[in-house]
Formats: sequence, C-alpha cells, structure tokens
Amino acid sequence: MALSGAVRAARGRCARALRSAVPPAAGTGATRGTGDTRGTGATRGTGDTRGTGDTIFALSSAPGRCGVAVIRASGPGSGAALRSLTGTPEPPPRVMALRRIQDPQTTETLDRGLVVWFPGPRSFTGEDCAELHVHGGPAVVSGVLRALGRLPGLRPAEPGEFTRRAFAHGKLDLTAAEGLRDLIGAETEAQRRQALRQMEGDLGRLYQRWSHSLTQALAHLEAYIDFSEDDNVEEEVLTQVRVTVQALLQELRGHLRDGRRGELLRGGVRAVIAGPPNVGKSSLLNLLCRRPAAIVSPTAGTTRDVLEVALDIGGYPLVLSDTAGLRQATDPVEREGVARARARLCQADLVLAVLDATSVPPTPVALEAALAVLEPPPGTPCVLVLNKADLLGGHGGSLSATSAQGPPATLLSCGGSPSATGAQGQGPPATLLSCKTGEGLEALLELLTQQLAQLCGDPLLGSPSLTQSRHSRHLGACAAALERFGDLGDSGDLAVAAEQLRVARRELGRITGHVGAEDVLDIIFRDFCVGK
Amino acid sequence: MKLLSPSNPTGAFSRSWRLRPPARGARTREHRYRPAFPAARGAGTGGRGEAPGPPAPPLPQAPPLAPGRRSRGGAPGPAAMFLRSGCRRLPLPLAPRPGHRRAGSEVGAAAAPRYEVVVIGGGHAGTEAAAAAARGGACTLLLTHRIGTIGEMSCNPSFGGIGKGHLMREVDALDGLCGRVCDRSGVHYKVLNRCKGPAVWGLRAQIDRGLYKENMQKEILNTPLLTVREASVEDLLLTEPEPGRPGKCQVTGVVLGDGSAVRAGSVILTTGTFLRGVIHIGLETHPAGRLGDQPAIGLAHTLERLGFAVGRLKTGTPPRLAKDTIDFSGLEERAADNPPVPFSFLSEAVWIKPEDQLSCYLTRTNLKAQQIIRDNLHLNNHVRETTRGPRYCPSLESKVLRFPDREHQVWLEPEGLDSNVIYPQGMSMTLPPELQEQVIKSVPGLEKAKMLQPGYGVQYDFLDPRQLTTSLESRLVQRLFFAGQINGTTGYEEAAAQGVIAGINACRRAQGKPPFTVSRTEGYVGVLIDDLTALGTSEPYRMFTSRVEFRMALRPDNADARLTHRGFEEAGCVSQQRYEQAVKMRAALEDGIATLKSLQFSIPRWSQLLPGVPISSNRRSPVSAFDVLQYQDVNMEILAKAIPEPLGKLAQWRELAERLKIEAAYEWCVVSQQQEMEEVRRDEALQLPDDLDYFAIDASLSAEVREKLDANRPQTIGAVSRIPGVTPAAIVNLLRFVKTNHRKTEKLKAVPQSGEYFPGKMYSGKATSQRQVSAEFSEEETKFVKTPL
Repeated sequence: MALSGAVRAARGRCARALRSAVPPAAGTGATRGTGDTRGTGATRGTGDTRGTGDTIFALSSAPGRCGVAVIRASGPGSGAALRSLTGTPEPPPRVMALRRIQDPQTTETLDRGLVVWFPGPRSFTGEDCAELHVHGGPAVVSGVLRALGRLPGLRPAEPGEFTRRAFAHGKLDLTAAEGLRDLIGAETEAQRRQALRQMEGDLGRLYQRWSHSLTQALAHLEAYIDFSEDDNVEEEVLTQVRVTVQALLQELRGHLRDGRRGELLRGGVRAVIAGPPNVGKSSLLNLLCRRPAAIVSPTAGTTRDVLEVALDIGGYPLVLSDTAGLRQATDPVEREGVARARARLCQADLVLAVLDATSVPPTPVALEAALAVLEPPPGTPCVLVLNKADLLGGHGGSLSATSAQGPPATLLSCGGSPSATGAQGQGPPATLLSCKTGEGLEALLELLTQQLAQLCGDPLLGSPSLTQSRHSRHLGACAAALERFGDLGDSGDLAVAAEQLRVARRELGRITGHVGAEDVLDIIFRDFCVGK
Repeated sequence: MKLLSPSNPTGAFSRSWRLRPPARGARTREHRYRPAFPAARGAGTGGRGEAPGPPAPPLPQAPPLAPGRRSRGGAPGPAAMFLRSGCRRLPLPLAPRPGHRRAGSEVGAAAAPRYEVVVIGGGHAGTEAAAAAARGGACTLLLTHRIGTIGEMSCNPSFGGIGKGHLMREVDALDGLCGRVCDRSGVHYKVLNRCKGPAVWGLRAQIDRGLYKENMQKEILNTPLLTVREASVEDLLLTEPEPGRPGKCQVTGVVLGDGSAVRAGSVILTTGTFLRGVIHIGLETHPAGRLGDQPAIGLAHTLERLGFAVGRLKTGTPPRLAKDTIDFSGLEERAADNPPVPFSFLSEAVWIKPEDQLSCYLTRTNLKAQQIIRDNLHLNNHVRETTRGPRYCPSLESKVLRFPDREHQVWLEPEGLDSNVIYPQGMSMTLPPELQEQVIKSVPGLEKAKMLQPGYGVQYDFLDPRQLTTSLESRLVQRLFFAGQINGTTGYEEAAAQGVIAGINACRRAQGKPPFTVSRTEGYVGVLIDDLTALGTSEPYRMFTSRVEFRMALRPDNADARLTHRGFEEAGCVSQQRYEQAVKMRAALEDGIATLKSLQFSIPRWSQLLPGVPISSNRRSPVSAFDVLQYQDVNMEILAKAIPEPLGKLAQWRELAERLKIEAAYEWCVVSQQQEMEEVRRDEALQLPDDLDYFAIDASLSAEVREKLDANRPQTIGAVSRIPGVTPAAIVNLLRFVKTNHRKTEKLKAVPQSGEYFPGKMYSGKATSQRQVSAEFSEEETKFVKTPL
C-alpha cells in the first residue's frame, strides 16, 4: 500500500511534533542541572553557538544625536542581516570594515559606516552578533532600524533582552564594561515608562485606557470560563466582551493607520510653504536651502508649479515644497498651479504659512482671518511665518509682541492635534522673518526643529524610533489577535478565544506594563459574586 | 454534634487511645501493610507502633550532636536553637552515628522506630503524600489523630471542577489516589464547561463521603511500605543542619503525644486547618481543627519557635440539611452526565451505573435572607472581622454585603447514595445556629428544611509558603516538607496535588536524590506551587484556569503525556502498569497524528469526501487529514467514514479518537506558545543562590525591590520575573550581581570568609563555622557551574 509508506515517512517528523506539543519530559526539573537548556527548544537553530529563536536588534549607543551610533543585532539571523544590509559577505570576524549600508528592499543607500561581525560564541551575547557603526543622525539610525525590522526573523529587542541573552550564555562579565549602563538604561522598564511619558499625555492615556478595557474584557471572559457554571456569571458577559473587543479593535486599527511618526523620520516630513501670492514663499525656500532653487520675482504669481527640496533641519529630514500663491486665479496655468498647491497642502505633514507682515494688521483677529483664507488642512501642524519684517516700520514692535504671545486660542482650529501646539502654548507658533536680510532665520529654524521633534519624536529623549517601532509592532500584533478573537465567533472554543485575548493583552502589556493573573482575578472578584 | 475542645494540649490524645479497646475490624490502631517481603532484619516486629516496616533503608545521617547539645525544638538563632533549659520532655535518644546503622537490632526496642518518611496528617494532602512516598520506595509512616478520619471530606461532598479537575488529572498522572478513589465513590459525575473547549473542561463529581473514606482507607492501609499509626505529634526532633544547604537546622524525627519519638529521614507536615484552628459560630468560638476534632497546638508552638512566618486565614462551611425535609419539586434539577467521564486514566468507567446517579438541585436566596444577615451582623464575629478578607465571597454573608439586592445561587448537593444529608453549596454562614435556620427557611424549597448541623467558620494558622522551595521543602528546617491547606491553599484537589509532590520529594530527600519539580510549563500543579512559593498568598489560594499561562497545552486530556513519563522515569512514583499504558497511548497518538498528517488531498477532493464540511479555500492545497480534523464539525468518526483505511482503526479506539481531535484543535495554539514556554523554562533554569541577603548585596536594586525579593525569596529568575513590582532593570542587575559574585566566590574558595553572606550570621564565632561556610561557598560555586546557561 502506497499509503503506509507515506505514513512511515511522516511518522518520525510527527512524532517529534507531538513531543514538542506536550512539554518535553526531559530537560526540566531536577535534571536540568546537567543539560544544556539551549538544546531543548523546538526553535533551536542549526548550531548551538548561533543562538536560538528570534534575532533581536537595538540601538546600543546612547540615544540622541551623536557622531557615531552603534546598532547591534544578536541571534541566528545576525549574519544574514549583515549580508543583506551591506550587500556583501560578512567581513572577517571581529574586524571592522567600511561598508555601504543599504535598505535591502529598495537598495537605497542609508549610510556608509563601519560593520563588525562577531560569530558566536565569541561575542557580547554569546550568539552570532553584528554591529553597525553609522552616523548618529536620527534619520540614519531610524532608517537602519527600520530596515532591520523588515528582515524576516528580526525584531526590536525587548527591555533587558540583550543582557538576558548574554547572561544565558555566560557572557555577562563582558558587559561589566562601560557600555552596560547605557544599554540597561535604554532597555529598562523605567526608560519605557519615561518614553511613555514623553509621548504626548494623550497617547499615554490612550494606551492606558486600551489596557484597562482589554484587561477587563479578558477578566470577564476568564470569569465566564472559570465560574459560570457554579456561580452567577451570565452569558450576557460574553456579548459585552465581544462588543468591547470590537470597539477596541476599531480604535487600534485607526491608530495604526495614523501612527506615521516613524515613517516621517524615514521618508522625511513633508512641509508645504503656503500663503497668498507675493509674500515671499519662494524666497523662504531659497533661504532655507541656501541656494536660488526657485525663481523669485516681485511679480505676484511667479511660482506656478510645485518645487520640492530635501533638507536636513536639526538632524531631521524635511521635504520642503514651494507652491503657487493661493488666490482666485484667472489664468488657466496659474489656476492649475493653485490647484496643485491645494493638493499638496492637503498631504502636508507640516504647513509653513507665510504672510506679509506689512499687510496684516497686528491683531490676533486679523492674523486668524488671514490664516483662515489659506484653508490649511485641519489637524495639520502649522508654523506662521510673518515675512518682510525688514519693511515693518513703527508698528513692528506690536507685531513682535503678538507673535511672542502667540496667536489667539481660536487659531487652534487650524491645528487641532496636540502635536500641533508649539512650545509657545495655545495656537500655531508664529515668527517674524526677513527673507531679504535673513533676520529671524535662527528663530524660524529653532521653531521648525521643535515642530519636527514633535512630529518625529525627539531623539534627545529616549530612543524614539526604536520605541515607536516597538510600539507599532506590538500594537499590530495586539490588533491581529483581537481580529482572530472576532473571527472565532460565538460557536468556537472559548479557551481558544480567551487565548487570543491573552495574546493581545500580552502584546499591549509590552507597552503599558505587564498585567498578571492576580490583576485579572482582582477584576473577576470585583465584578462577579463568585466564591465558595 | 458536640464540639470538642482540646482537653489536653500536651498529648492527651495519644494517651487516651491506649486505654481504649482494640479497634474494630480491620482498622487497627496501627496498620501496616505486610507484603511478602524478605524477613525483616532490623528491630523487632512485635511492639505496637515501634515496629518499622521492612528493613529500614539507609538513612542519610546527620552529624551527631555533642552531648548536652541535644536539640529540643529549635528557635531562631543559634542560641535559642540549642535550648538546654525549659525542656518539657525527657532527653531523647541520640541520633545514631554514621556507620552505626546496622546496630539497629542491637539497640532494639529501646531505640526510636525509624522511617524514611514520616507524614503528619491523614487528610487529602497527607494521604497523597504518604502514598507517593511509599510508591517511590520509601519506608513511610503516616501519623493521624484517628485512622477513622483518614479520607474525611470535611467540607463539600464533591471533587474536581474547573481547574481543580485539571489538578486531579495531574495527581492521577503521577499515580496519586484521589482520582481513582473518586471513580469508585462518586454519585454524580459531570464535566463542567463542556461547550467551552477541552482545555477548560472541568471534571467534577459529587462524592459519597462514606464511600470515599472507606475506599481511601482501603488504598492507604494496603499500600506497601506504608505504616499508619494513630498519634498526635507534639514536637519535632531537630539537629544541626547539613552544610551546603539553606536551613538553620534539620529535622530528624517527631515527638508524639505520649513523649515517644519516631525518627525520620524527612517529615511532611499536612495538618490542614488544625494549627491553632478556631471554629466560629455566631459569637462563640471553639478551638478545633474541624468540628469535633481538636487543634494541634504543640506543633504550632514548635513552628513558631523555629521562626516560621505564620499567617491567619479564614474559611467556612455551610450548614447541612436533612434531605427528606426539602421540597425539590419546584427547583431546577441538574442531572449527571451519561456516560460519566472517569477522573483516572486507569479507569475504563466509573463504578456507578449511569442511571443510578443522583441529581443536584439549584435554588436561590432572596431578600429575606439578606435582611436576616444584615440585621444580625453584630452577632457574627467571623464576618465582622473580615474587613480585609479574601477578594472572593467565601460566605453568604459576604455575598449579600458585597452584591446586595440580588439572588444568590444555592446548589443542593447530595452527600451520598444512602445519606439523608444535603450540602447547600453557596450557603456558608457563621451566624448563630437559630438565625442560620431562619435564613435556610427563607429559601425556596427549604421552607421546612431541618438543619442537621450549623455552618461555621474556621480560622487557622498557615505558613507563609514563600518559606518553601518548589519541592515543598522548608528553607528554614531541612528535610521538613509542607503540603496542603497549611500552605495557604483551599480545596481537596490543591491539597492532594501538593501532597503528591511533597511525598515524592520527601522520599527523594530521604534517599539522597535530587528533587523532582514540575514547571509552570508542565502542569497546573507546577503553577500552584510556583505561585505559592514565589508569591505567597493572602487569601486561601484556589486553582483557576486563568492562573495558567499555558492553558492550551496543559489540558486534562494530556496530563499523562505531561507527567506520567517523568513520574515513572525520574520520580519512580508511577506503577509499571500505568507507565506502560501511558507509553502505549503516546505511541498511538504519535502514530495517529503521523497518519493523519500523511493523508493529504486537494481541497476539491476533501469537499467530495466530506460534503458537509466547508474547507477554507484560502488554505494551501493539499490539506492533510490532521488539518481537516481541526474543523469544529469534524471528528475522527466522520473522517473514518470518509477514509476507512487507514483511519477506521484509529476511530475505533474511542479515547484515542477523542484525544486526536483535541490535539488537532489545539495544535496551532500550542505551537505558537512553544517559544514562550521555552523562555519560561530558560528563566526557571537560572537558579539563584538560596542564601542571598538581598538587603546586603551590592547591586543596584531599590529598597522596595530588595524587600520584595527578601520576602519572596525566589528560587529562579523565572520566579523573580513574576513578583509584581520587580522591574526588568532589577532582574538584570540581580543577574549581574549573582554572576559577578559567583566569580568572587571562586576566588574566595581558598580563603573561607566569615558568614557575612548569610542572613542571621548563624555561623559567626563558631569553631565549625569556617569549614561549613567554605563548604557552602564551594557548593554554591558548583551549583553555578552546573547551572545550564
């Protein structure tokens, strides 16, 4: 019989599978003392020294802008990661080599930097390790981290994970070196909490709210499993859990679509210069890129097309677009230019609204009216640039006062999101500038840097790109588990459904902190009359 | 029923039995199973109670005490440990010196009898512990107040439930008794959570109290190597600790109520609620462990003297009702399962005919009961004191106080086939008896019910289980094990599960073998013990499936695959027959899964074979029979009909067919949890030194974390990570400290240090200390070398 042959062939494989499905008998308990635990795992790599399971990576130099940033990967996939990022074989072990570092997907060059290859066990963690020494700008670091994150089998390290692996392989003494403090600092719970605090309060509160509602849903489902038959846990509980989970899933999905910060850092913040004709928008572009990239003339409506320039401002990538002046144009070409300007404005991450300081009365109301004419897209952060400051005569003082105080609170409507609020407080920040004399440029650059930091996360605090890619990864996994929970429907195995909520809870817990069985029991006993 | 108060806390009980006539029937005061062993060498066989069983296997010998340093119960600190004054008793025979073992017969009747394992207490933990130790090959003595109360179900007349059924399956997988006994004693078998998935099925049964006791006694009294003796235990025999292990002393035996001694290789305490137990009914209190049984006070003093941290817990039991005075006609009936599912992997079926099973009935309290309870709170000490009681509702009083103005369920459960007693589950009360009667009569169906015995509350001492290792051995006193309610748990099943583990380990300890522990990734019993020993408890700990991280893998159906093999191969506590059965089942499962996986067809072909089953078309073709078996509507029977060859054979073996279905349904879940289980195991393998002084070590830890670590004394990094409030940073710093410190100890090996490393500085200033300390260090060092990394 042909079948029996196939059965025999499959048997060995499946026998192993079964044994891994039930916890292995050996290698646990008392007998552990003598065995190499690395050998017991089902996920074991091909060689002991390469390491097991996932390959993790993290920025291991101090976060923030610096000359050289060190990104480290550990685990069986480190070699492959190094190969795909450099496009060349690994350099000889423990020898620094200069390599072009590229995004393996787009083959776009991210940086040129030094790479080192440490095959296990002679490495920091005892596993295969790779180090990339790149330039310390946030865009570069973020780009490399993102490229690593897209490789199969690689993921950002969890807090303390490098050190744990090092310990697991008996390598911890090496980490007694100076770098350990930073490493632990970057990886620790405190840092994670700090990172959470650094996010706008809204986001932190949002995550906490999700955490509570998910924990509650899980607790109620657990109560239904553990108690319903003996105690008064009614079936309505299940319906409520489904409603909660569905709502949570919607929110998560929406959030994941919006959470573009990491993307901004990588692709550059798209800033659009907008304003009425002949206020000096193109001059501003030229001033910022320090070359006559755009044609400037005293004639209103000189700029017709959209002109793009890539800039680095305060270490952040910025793609600046100069657009046609916004007005009711009659000329068909200019009309097309205005339409393009409007389209570009709608896609902007940041709007630089330029007004003629001499033509705007120095009152908040007037400023508001002038800005409203431009119809900046709601919710997009905005910087108000009052150009031609050199032409201001006697009333320049009062305008300065206005810009220093910030425009009226009503202007908030233009930038409704909290990230749009500048350092000055309520409305979009404003600054006086003279493109002609260059006066006020420094203030503008500082303002822009602040705005970019808000948009991209501030590299001086924590390690935003890493934190955020971790966050979106965990939120994504959380949403996926909630989705599977929904797919199971009413008729399915409740233990499996609860498992999905547990997975979701665990993923969210990686951001908001662990929630243990006792916390779940607290809710069960609070919400249900169960007991002896 | 008359409440007994302790007439004489100094052991009147063991004296009084000697005055009584010999026991009726087979239940002798001392019972020893006498298998056809080779003639016993050793001490004489005649003396009542003084006869050890078969030849006592070698006992690990403790270093003899110098004359005058006789250990009379220890106390914290070296000075108090060797009390010379204040002894209440006569000096005891000295511990025999090493090498004098064979002199046992010369010492003869004068010497105290010696067992490898002595178990104190004959409850659910004690019986399992004693039987497990004996199964493991230890010559074991079970000491109980009364042989007649062995196997007593002192509270609810049921076993199992959600989570608890899992524990029973695991006890059974380790060849424990309660599952088997329940299969011969139940009157109503029901699997709870049937519709919620096999991972959370709760095997449960109403048990006939009388039958259970009878069958349990039969088991216990017929266990080879196990001797049962009636006596109260008043004290422990202690001596200097074995070096290289934590503990300020070690136990070498027990002192009975009559002052005689029994020597032991290890001792298991399973005294339940008897440690300073106090019963509360209304405003009355009576010292008692259980209604009618006296508490153990001498032992409580001993444990206190030794410095054990003791806590106080409360529990309760409902009143009992006369069945023939209850009107069941208007109540909701819950019938038993047909066919009943047995608890034990060894049982083909349970003893009772399905149609002979009794039913349970459901009724509910109403506002009248609430009114009575509220009006009389001033008469209710037990509940009034429960200001910071357990989070759940242990009594009807707490239910109506915390969840007012609603009905509360009361299950009327039969206590036995021929019993006229009904147990109203959900009605635990501590009101004065006449008010309890009023509450009862306010409940539909119970208007005329006669109360046979009032409900009561029990307050009792428990030992902070964080003082135990995961083998349930005490860190304070070597060779002393604790199991059951004394560790802060509630429930027969929780007690039985600890009993088995303590029994196995006491046996292994006496025989000089390494401990046998169950990981969180292997069983509910592992979760139970890890939670207790790492986190402690502030309310009676009960098993819930929600406590278990790997619920998908730790199911009632596969407890044998998880534990029986280890139980046989490592612990030696599993019979050959059970082992062979488990091996056979595992092979059949592996075979079956392989067969199912090898049967691969395209999706259209499957649609032909199984027209009623919608196979998801986004699966990659071909699809194996194992994948198809995951579908809710598919089982082995359906598959076998479609593909009789080769599946017909598999489907015929019903148990196998069911298990294959479950394996298929959970495969993806279990596989996706594999890595996480691996992580937990790795963390559990990272052992911490037992004697770390967390307040003294030079590691970057916050005071709060130090306090937590000191209170919980985690054994492994895995346990550390489960202590709430210990941050990853603290874990890393701790790891670093331990690792660096290990390097230091290596260097220190040649130069022994004073005992700065040890809490309490027990060894400072002693002549022997240097050597002991250095031994401790080198032992520790070896341990770390062996630690799998």
